[in-house]
Amino acid sequence: MIRAIRPGLWPAVVLLVVLAAMAAVPGLFTGADPDAADLNATFAPPGPDHWLGTDENGRDLWARIVHGARPSLLIGGGAVAVALLGGAVVGVTAAQLGGLADQALSRSLEVLLSVPWLLLVFLVVAVMGPGTFPAMVGLALVSLPGFARVVRAEVLRLRAAPFVEAARGFGWSRLQVTVRHVVPNALGPVLALATVTLGATIVAGSSLSFVGLGPQPPTAEWGAMLAASRRTLSVAWWPAAFPGVALTLAVLAITAVGQELQRRADGRHL
Amino acid sequence: MAGVLKTGPAGNGAPAGTGRAELVRLVLLRAGGSAAVLWGAVTATFVLLRVMPGNTADVLMARSTTASAETRAQLIADYRLDESVGAQYLAYLGKTARGDFGDSYVLRRPVTEVLATQLPHTLLLVAATLVVTVAGAVVLAVLSARAGRVARSVFAGVESLLVAVPPFWLGLVLLTLFSFTLPIFPAVGSSSLSGLVLPTLTLAAGPLALVSGVLREGMLRALHEPFVLTARTRGISETAVHVRHVLRHALLPATSLLGWIGGSLLGGAVIIEIVFSRPGVGRLLLTSVQNKDLPVVIAVVLLSALVFVVFTIIVDVITWLVDPRTREAA
Amino acid sequence: MGASKAWRWGAAGAAAALALTAGCSAGGDGEGTTGAPREGGVLKLALEKEPECLDPHQTPTQSGRLLARPILDSLVYQDPKGTLHPWLAKSWAVSTDGLKYTFNLRDGVKFTDGSAFDADAVVANLDHVVDPKTKSLLAASLISAYDSAKAVDPKTVEVTLKKPDSGFLAAVATPNLGIHAPTTLKDDPAKLCSKIVGSGPFQSDGGFIQQQGITYTKNPDYAWSPEGAAHQGPARLDGIEVQIVPDDPSRSGALTSGQVDAVTALPPTSVKELRGNDAFKVHSVLYPGANHSYWPNTANGTLADVRVRKALRAGIDWKKIVQNVYFGVYEGAEGVLSKSTPGFDASVTPAYAYDPAAANALLDEAGWTARDGDGYRTKDGKRLKVRHMWSDPSVETLSVQIQAAAKEIGVEFVEENLDGGTFVDRLLKGDYEIIDTGFAAPGPDVLRVLFSKANIPTPDRGIANNMARYDNPVVEADFDAALRATDPAEQLKIYAKVQQQLTEDAAVLPIYTSTSSLTARSGVQGVAFHVDGSPNLTEIWLES
Repeated sequence: MIRAIRPGLWPAVVLLVVLAAMAAVPGLFTGADPDAADLNATFAPPGPDHWLGTDENGRDLWARIVHGARPSLLIGGGAVAVALLGGAVVGVTAAQLGGLADQALSRSLEVLLSVPWLLLVFLVVAVMGPGTFPAMVGLALVSLPGFARVVRAEVLRLRAAPFVEAARGFGWSRLQVTVRHVVPNALGPVLALATVTLGATIVAGSSLSFVGLGPQPPTAEWGAMLAASRRTLSVAWWPAAFPGVALTLAVLAITAVGQELQRRADGRHL
Repeated sequence: MAGVLKTGPAGNGAPAGTGRAELVRLVLLRAGGSAAVLWGAVTATFVLLRVMPGNTADVLMARSTTASAETRAQLIADYRLDESVGAQYLAYLGKTARGDFGDSYVLRRPVTEVLATQLPHTLLLVAATLVVTVAGAVVLAVLSARAGRVARSVFAGVESLLVAVPPFWLGLVLLTLFSFTLPIFPAVGSSSLSGLVLPTLTLAAGPLALVSGVLREGMLRALHEPFVLTARTRGISETAVHVRHVLRHALLPATSLLGWIGGSLLGGAVIIEIVFSRPGVGRLLLTSVQNKDLPVVIAVVLLSALVFVVFTIIVDVITWLVDPRTREAA
Repeated sequence: MGASKAWRWGAAGAAAALALTAGCSAGGDGEGTTGAPREGGVLKLALEKEPECLDPHQTPTQSGRLLARPILDSLVYQDPKGTLHPWLAKSWAVSTDGLKYTFNLRDGVKFTDGSAFDADAVVANLDHVVDPKTKSLLAASLISAYDSAKAVDPKTVEVTLKKPDSGFLAAVATPNLGIHAPTTLKDDPAKLCSKIVGSGPFQSDGGFIQQQGITYTKNPDYAWSPEGAAHQGPARLDGIEVQIVPDDPSRSGALTSGQVDAVTALPPTSVKELRGNDAFKVHSVLYPGANHSYWPNTANGTLADVRVRKALRAGIDWKKIVQNVYFGVYEGAEGVLSKSTPGFDASVTPAYAYDPAAANALLDEAGWTARDGDGYRTKDGKRLKVRHMWSDPSVETLSVQIQAAAKEIGVEFVEENLDGGTFVDRLLKGDYEIIDTGFAAPGPDVLRVLFSKANIPTPDRGIANNMARYDNPVVEADFDAALRATDPAEQLKIYAKVQQQLTEDAAVLPIYTSTSSLTARSGVQGVAFHVDGSPNLTEIWLES
């Protein structure tokens, strides 16, 4: 794998590794407590003491960005993981059953697709209450149809492939063939879709925090940090700038790697 | 993304007809499926809002700690909140089918009237965004497809950046730079054309970059197709080749992408309307969900589902018209 | 966003005298002017909130009162000091039993649709307010004593009350009892939500459009200003354009970039910034009533223990947090009531001082002695946890700092930002430890609204204002005595005692005193505030 990374992709890969490390072990990057309010050091500009400055509560922005990596990435990541699993189940079921059941499932997916994504998430959050988990579930519902459709299409396509025909010739049942041969082969394009979706879902997750429906204070989350920074924009620019940069860089890196994965998946298939 | 095309109701082997008859058939099939989708969306929203915590009458009364018991009783009677959920659902379906969305619980006006004042703003924003997206993407793609390798990777880099920037943050940055710091564009207001510039750019940035990327890839692939070579040998100018043959060829995947984008713009518009303090369906929706203003929420859901469905059909028709191959495939 | 803010000023228009104390730089008419008032010009105003309905008979909101006032006149005018003056009624008489009010109406008053103002119009308006079909959320309860009205002759109205109500005239003076042109009252009340017609100094042909605003034009024939108003006759402004801009930075940007002349409710950061700028002026008044406070659930949960409540009061440096969050623009609270409330008892102030040592001692005494790995206090293995529920994102910064300060004494504040439905549900069930809200009201009577047993919100009772769920027979007896007291001084004495008892029971954790503000470019003159704290738009004029 590593050997095959294009030189242009290295920055993205490094960034991803750093972000993953931040999310996993934030203590590696900062010793400061992200929630420690210092009422004597509010709005300290970037400098030697706080190198990205402090926010309206005197909290160190670097520490908050580092600790914010986990919730910020978790909403999107969790949502995509749930959507992938759910989508795979729905997609395989639809392709497997065919006929009326397939039709019904497809229509249901279309219902999910037809409701504006933010409204869908908003309704879920309204039912479950704001927080990381409801946001995750809501966003998972948004991207589930995409996965289900790709999985269904892949299963149908692969089922017509010569090696699958051959397996059936050996007297394997349809389910056996699907599980043993079709699903593993469909994994490539689905994973590629997952990485591409991940970027957009992380942005969507931060949008949700931005309107106050994500993780609750004092959790450091990039979207929530940006929302809070708007109220004090006339006093300090840095709380409004750095979380946005972090978010953009993260999505940029994920998308770059995702596109590369997709290119490879396509290459393998064509 | 192209999945929108593949898995629609007509996707499962409508027999190949000829010409217009087949097109009509395609549209009819789609419309039939769409009605089911709309019903599903309404029902799902109704159920979700019913299981939301909090009694609707209490939420309505929360607007005032001083209202009398008579007012509460009148509210409950007027909005039939004392009836069973099933009866409310049936009554609602019946009225909706007749085009009557009822009165907003909170705004106390017919939902159609409320939507009529808000919808134009959102539609204007979405329409402007689509125009900017298409025009910008075509220009960018044509320019970058003809550019050298280095310039092309710069284009690609900028596109990735635009796709990655969270729209609400981009809006914040643009607003700070061009409204608060340099008062070029108004900070508030939706009536003027200049007030539309920043929200449109913010909402269009991501889709524009996405479509432009897909267009360019398509064009680059088409450049090596035999028909382009033929066109060149006939002595047609390079620009004409690009626009007339290559671009046209690349439009197909971009169209389906655009259809998907058009359907999802409404979601993005919610955030943009909040950031830019614009009136519109987005903000209306947000407050309506919080206030349990069921009639408004369902009407907006129905409306946006309708927009989505119409977009899907339009995209299918365009695809059918642009690319004869899909007719045989279908 | 929904619930808590709507209540905040729920009773701001309530009856009786509202004495508003001038804040930082309240500009009365003439103050700081450089010449004679200029005629003409259109005032562009950006408002932070909008009413869900323009008709003040229906809406309970402060923004509804603000937007209706330029269009609708009232029978009686209450000046900012609380004194009542004639307006559409040139005089009135009250029967000795307090049950009959006879209003003599002014001559020559015309509604802007051309119809004449007379006794029938008054009767139609009062009946409209109490008609169940109007679904009034405030106005009807302001005149809950109202029984009937009849036109004795075209210029005389006789109103009968069910029981004596000394606050009736003040209620009639609020915009909520504003007089519509009777022709507009025959239609569906829904129509009034977007368009109202009255006899006021301004009219609006386009009406109010949700999320956009309202445009007023001057009523050139206006000749019936209330007695005692700073300006008489037609308004000096040609018109007013009101835009709804809920977003703080945008409102502030619209003002500083010159897009609008004035904005309401600027956030403290912007106020602080603009205070040093000669091009702008911040006009503001302190609201009387309850401070913006944390209301502890005194009935159940961890805060049912008075020692824990006292520990929170002493262990958190509330004043410093207020200074920090609001940059000195809002004043820290100094007692149960806002300082500007008549009857405010200053003797309780020392009890609200910061004393972390005492707080820790109280918590130890209450049995929260052990500490867990995160440094929070525990008792029987359970962490000392306080759930603060809110549904208004603007309190977030304040909450975060309080949360951080509470951690210092080992108390965990769990912040719960809820949607309106869940919020109301849990409020009624009493499933919370702390709620934050303020309550503007004219006098110490508000204590009864906030702490009497009858006002504890429950599923049966519905939403009410005793969110501390405070229930103390001693205080109930005091409330009864205050109601019976005929001597105002005696009444204030009883309410002072109540404030001392509430302080002893730590029934409220007051934070800051709310302020109503209008920030304008310096050319905007004649800015004053109504008795309910909303800016008076009709006397404003533009220097340029």
